[in-house]
Amino acid sequence: MSGLVVTLKRICSERDGRLGLAFTLAILVFALVGPLVSPDPNAINIKARFAQPGLTHLLGTDNLGRDLMARTSVGTRYALTLAVMIVVISSIIGSLIGIVAGIAGAWIDRAVMAVFDIVNAFPPLILAFALIALYGKGSATFVLLVTVVFIPQFGRMARARAQTLRNLSFIEAERMLAVHPVTIVVRHYLPNVAGPIIVLASMNLPVVIAFEASLSFLGFGVQPPKSSLGTLIKDGFMSINQSWWPTVAAALVLAIATLGATLLGEALRRVIDPKTASVS
Amino acid sequence: MDAISINNARLRFGETAALDGVSLSIPQNKCFGIVGESGSGKTTLMRAILGLQKLDQGDIRILGNPLVHSRAARKQRANFIQPIFQDPAASLSPRSRIRTLMNEVATVLKEPLATTDERLRVILNRLGLSQSVVDKYPHEISGGQARRVAIARALLMRPSILVADEPTAGLDVSVQGDLLNLLQDIRRSEKITLVVISHNLAIVRLIAENAIVMRAGKVVEGGDVGSLFRSPREAYTRELLAAWPSITQAGPPARLVDVQDHGELGL
Repeated sequence: MSGLVVTLKRICSERDGRLGLAFTLAILVFALVGPLVSPDPNAINIKARFAQPGLTHLLGTDNLGRDLMARTSVGTRYALTLAVMIVVISSIIGSLIGIVAGIAGAWIDRAVMAVFDIVNAFPPLILAFALIALYGKGSATFVLLVTVVFIPQFGRMARARAQTLRNLSFIEAERMLAVHPVTIVVRHYLPNVAGPIIVLASMNLPVVIAFEASLSFLGFGVQPPKSSLGTLIKDGFMSINQSWWPTVAAALVLAIATLGATLLGEALRRVIDPKTASVS
Repeated sequence: MDAISINNARLRFGETAALDGVSLSIPQNKCFGIVGESGSGKTTLMRAILGLQKLDQGDIRILGNPLVHSRAARKQRANFIQPIFQDPAASLSPRSRIRTLMNEVATVLKEPLATTDERLRVILNRLGLSQSVVDKYPHEISGGQARRVAIARALLMRPSILVADEPTAGLDVSVQGDLLNLLQDIRRSEKITLVVISHNLAIVRLIAENAIVMRAGKVVEGGDVGSLFRSPREAYTRELLAAWPSITQAGPPARLVDVQDHGELGL
């Protein structure tokens, strides 16, 4: 049986894991299928503004009569795409930097750790404002910002793991055979670092989704007419006296997405981490 | 020319002297034993010989070449000297199939894969391992098999020197005997210098021709195994021997199987 099937079975064997998987799958289906079956998310229909949820508009409409089901699903797809992209990029870059620092030690390790400390010293939102001031608003800026913020997390974890692996017999045996260092990193370090990095990545997904929503809510993320969960909550909040459902719909999707990813990440951590896996 | 010569090797870990002026010569094509209690510096000495641990002072020569800690030197050294680690299962990368680990040798030696495969087939036969073992992951084989796989991988490099750290640790008595006999046979037929590091005096007595006794990072006593174990000069060696009643019996056994007939090695 492949490792993936075994991992899925173990995740499904616990309640939180099942719940996390169900929420995540529901959000994925919503993000992937929603935009295909919904009307144009940017089509304005003033006559239908603030329409209540019903058969025509499953989640109602906003202040411009735009279909909230379409906008929310597009926003969810956007948030998930960004989150996955950021987590993948930052985990790959962070892991490679961390492994090199962990293996090399000495001044390279100290220099890398100093850079990580400097990045961590900035609160993410302040760093976001600084980068937005420099590069302007938009998805590219957001991806750059959050990738930079997350690289140290992955880097530190990979470095710690590489430091442990460096002194293990099988790495020393590879060095004694004079196997090329790049081969040792790719074939023997990366697969042994991957487990905890995957867990950290899964636990960072909801953080990125929430962070993107926060920036968009503050007006520094996605710009109109595009929709994101943050802008939908903000727009709904501005007209909460006329209708409550735009805010609730987007907030509910955001809550389910982050809760699902968190529960799934926690379950994955318990399954992969040998200490907790043996207990469960 | 000696296989390994060490001159005044010194190494400290904080306040502790792991190696305190160790000097020794290991002749070629012989089996050399390094014995001592835990913490005596045996494994540190092994790691220094393998180039895995830098010395604070002193020098080591492998087949006359000074031990240098550069990648080029390590690459050259890989053809001369190979280790068999104390925990061989841990010396095999857990997420790679054994075939992948063996194929790495072909890449290192720049040898056609078919040639390495053929040599591996012969070595596995000799070690009494099934050919199918290469399709398994390290966790799917037993401790004894893992040790043989580690030996096979080391032999694929065609080394002149094999350094075995506690070669029988964790094995049951019958497997220990087989393995030591196997190492002896390989040493003789391949004209390999075998360095055996062990806390177990019986094993060193059985397999080695020359040996040293280490304590607190120093060489307490050394010489040919017969005289070392029959009439030790130093009190510490006598203490070690006294703590091992079974090896004070007269006359070295020719083969381990003879010892096994008496019940156990006393390990």
